[in-house]
Amino acid sequence: MPGARLARWAAAVPMAGLALATIYPLVFTANVAMKTRRDYVLDRFSPAGSLRWDNLAEAWTGAGMARYFVNSFVIVTCAVALLLLLGSMAGFALARLRFRGSSMIFLGCLAGLFIPFQVIMVPLTRVMADSGLIDTYPGLILAYVAQYLPFTVFLMTSHYRTIPAEIVDAARIDGNTVYGVYRRIMLPLGVPALLSVGILDALFCWNDVLIALLMMPSPEHRTLMIGVNALRGQYTDDVPAFASGVLIAAVPVLMIYLFLQRQIADGVTAGSTKG
Amino acid sequence: MRIAGPSSSARKARAERLAPYVLVAPAVLIIVALRLWPLALGVNFSFTGDGELNGTPVGLGNYLELAGDPLFHISLRNVGLLVLLLPLAVAIPGLLATFIYLRVPGHRVYRSVYFFPAVLSPVIVGAIFNLMLGYDGPLNSLLGSIGAGPVDWLGDPGIAMFTVVGVHVWATFGMALVVFLAGFSTLDSSLLDAARVDGASLRQSIWHVIIPSLTRTIQFVFVTTMIGMLTSMFGLLFVMTSGGPEGATYLPEYYIWHQQGQMNRPALASAASTVLFVVMLVVGLLQITLLRRAGRQD
Repeated sequence: MPGARLARWAAAVPMAGLALATIYPLVFTANVAMKTRRDYVLDRFSPAGSLRWDNLAEAWTGAGMARYFVNSFVIVTCAVALLLLLGSMAGFALARLRFRGSSMIFLGCLAGLFIPFQVIMVPLTRVMADSGLIDTYPGLILAYVAQYLPFTVFLMTSHYRTIPAEIVDAARIDGNTVYGVYRRIMLPLGVPALLSVGILDALFCWNDVLIALLMMPSPEHRTLMIGVNALRGQYTDDVPAFASGVLIAAVPVLMIYLFLQRQIADGVTAGSTKG
Repeated sequence: MRIAGPSSSARKARAERLAPYVLVAPAVLIIVALRLWPLALGVNFSFTGDGELNGTPVGLGNYLELAGDPLFHISLRNVGLLVLLLPLAVAIPGLLATFIYLRVPGHRVYRSVYFFPAVLSPVIVGAIFNLMLGYDGPLNSLLGSIGAGPVDWLGDPGIAMFTVVGVHVWATFGMALVVFLAGFSTLDSSLLDAARVDGASLRQSIWHVIIPSLTRTIQFVFVTTMIGMLTSMFGLLFVMTSGGPEGATYLPEYYIWHQQGQMNRPALASAASTVLFVVMLVVGLLQITLLRRAGRQD
């Protein structure tokens, strides 16, 4: 069909334009990060002559991005490990074990999924403050676990439902306890789902602003994203240094995206196809 | 005579019976204590006072104050704007996904490129666009080169909200695109082939084959995009406008944060939270009903 082919090429032009519009802001930022302040003021668009790392080094050490980076890394790692452990335990039980109250519990988890953080942020901050967890690492980790646990339980449950019940039964007949089945069968079989849920949880936590802002008021406890925002005040007239800070915060995500795009997309779409 | 304790096999059986509860307990405890319980606490809290009246019941006082607060009015008006823009925010990724599904030249690249901003933090997106949209930034120089502008993207109260929504759509349309593509992969391609053989135009194919087959996906995208607009723009507002200029870019979530954190009015913030929750429930249910009805007509 010549008409259809023409239509396809006609669509390709604006789509390529949109792709450029999607990428250009990032390229622009990376380019600015490589410039000196003088170069930037004189001409903000021309490509930076060479790769200069001064700005990056300045943001990394001078503005404390290193500290924020470590904070984020520790918090996200702990939160994701806990999410995957608790999510797979509950998911296995809800999907493949029969016990009284299981459907009620599943509904409760689903209800948790539909409560946005904004709706509970005031009372949650108060609960955290009352239990002395505000401005502590465990406090923020727990807040992240609570925020993304319903989603994690939901996806792990739907994943474990795709694993035949006969496998569980066979393992039980072979003399495994329930915990043995979890450790030896369900955990290994859950790896693909754990990977894509884990990456998504990690992205959510890494990218979060609001929860970190509320749970970690002191400057030395800032996560990387809060740190990036703080750079704004610090480098009001040094745009290249500011762009460098932004770049530092974006690069880990870019790396994850380049290597694990498929898993991220799987996690995002799981809710739409399995729900 | 010694009373025999439970035999080891009986003890084992009991442990096995309890095992499911042990497995779900930590997750249930956390969800109940840190999500469901705070929801109830917050609603309760919204009927009490702030400051000197801390803890004393004030009835509907906070809600009345909200009803009279111009900033809260702007927040709700902006929610209305988001609802109006929602069909656009769904149609754009839907159309793009259709073309990618039809294998437009370069479709593999587009998928990866479009999805990328969706994994970036709103803080990073906001920071980048602060650079791009500055009064003397790249976009205005581009406009200047064709003789238009400059536009005060973030400083003009009539424009700023559209700018922020535009950036939000730029950053998240890839998410909806990927969901649409997953929907397309379940589409029965013989239907499309049949339509093509019968001489259907592209528009007819979209209208009569693709949309009816993807009702569930479209429903899902509508609801998740709406939730995204109402609950994940805080980062952008925080970095790009701080609610300004003149409060023009307030959304309920920003209002809640502002009242709680800056104005020290947690009870008033709780009332706003409750309103937001009700708004989301109503909008969500309304959408599902409308889309169900539309789906039935096809």
